[in-house]
Amino acid sequence: MWILSILPDAAIHIIFGLGILGTIAGFVLGFIPFIKTYKLAIQIISLLVLVLGVYLEGGLADYKEWELRVKEMEAKVAQAEAKSANTNVEIQEKIVEKTKVIREKGRDIIQYIDKEVVKKEEVIKYIEICPVPKDIIDLHNQAAELNKGAKK
Amino acid sequence: MRYILIALLLAGCSTTVPVKQKFPNATPELMKKCEDLKKIEGDKVAITEMMKVVVHNYSLYWECSAKVDGWQDWYNAQKKIYDEIAK
Repeated sequence: MWILSILPDAAIHIIFGLGILGTIAGFVLGFIPFIKTYKLAIQIISLLVLVLGVYLEGGLADYKEWELRVKEMEAKVAQAEAKSANTNVEIQEKIVEKTKVIREKGRDIIQYIDKEVVKKEEVIKYIEICPVPKDIIDLHNQAAELNKGAKK
Repeated sequence: MRYILIALLLAGCSTTVPVKQKFPNATPELMKKCEDLKKIEGDKVAITEMMKVVVHNYSLYWECSAKVDGWQDWYNAQKKIYDEIAK
């Protein structure tokens, strides 16, 4: 109820209080001369004010309950955001570590080829006799660029 | 009087609940693109040189695979967190 964000709580309680007082005055204190003169008007107006007061009091109670739920939700969201950030850090560390291991292993194999494999007699002979045919290289390179057609 | 009546009639209109949840940021490492595979340079290439390129490309594949695994982990973790709020 938007009206609750404009009216202060006290105003709602005052409207409700005035409604009750007016109703009591209109229906019970009819014997007092001033009230006796305006009895019907007081009864009608105070009943209307009382109805409005009850309505606004109900709305206010509901509004307060919702406000509480909003605060609960905000706390939950803040907690979730912190948790999400922590999860990101954990995932980041995991991937960085995994990538590091993969790179190191790849580098180790390449170093092993450079330092050990190329010195092996069998390999030296093979390299001298059989260079890799250009067709094979081209096919390899084509396969390495399989994604190019679909990139744009 | 007319305005008071209109205000009273509209008094029950609802207001929006101001709880906003930010879309979670992705892990920076996951946002990096997978590198292109390396090609073999030259016409006459020794099998060892070709092997080095192949090993390099395998490394790139596994690095990219780690990123895909990371995205899956990220999604599952974020979904779990989101579902906990919605409960």
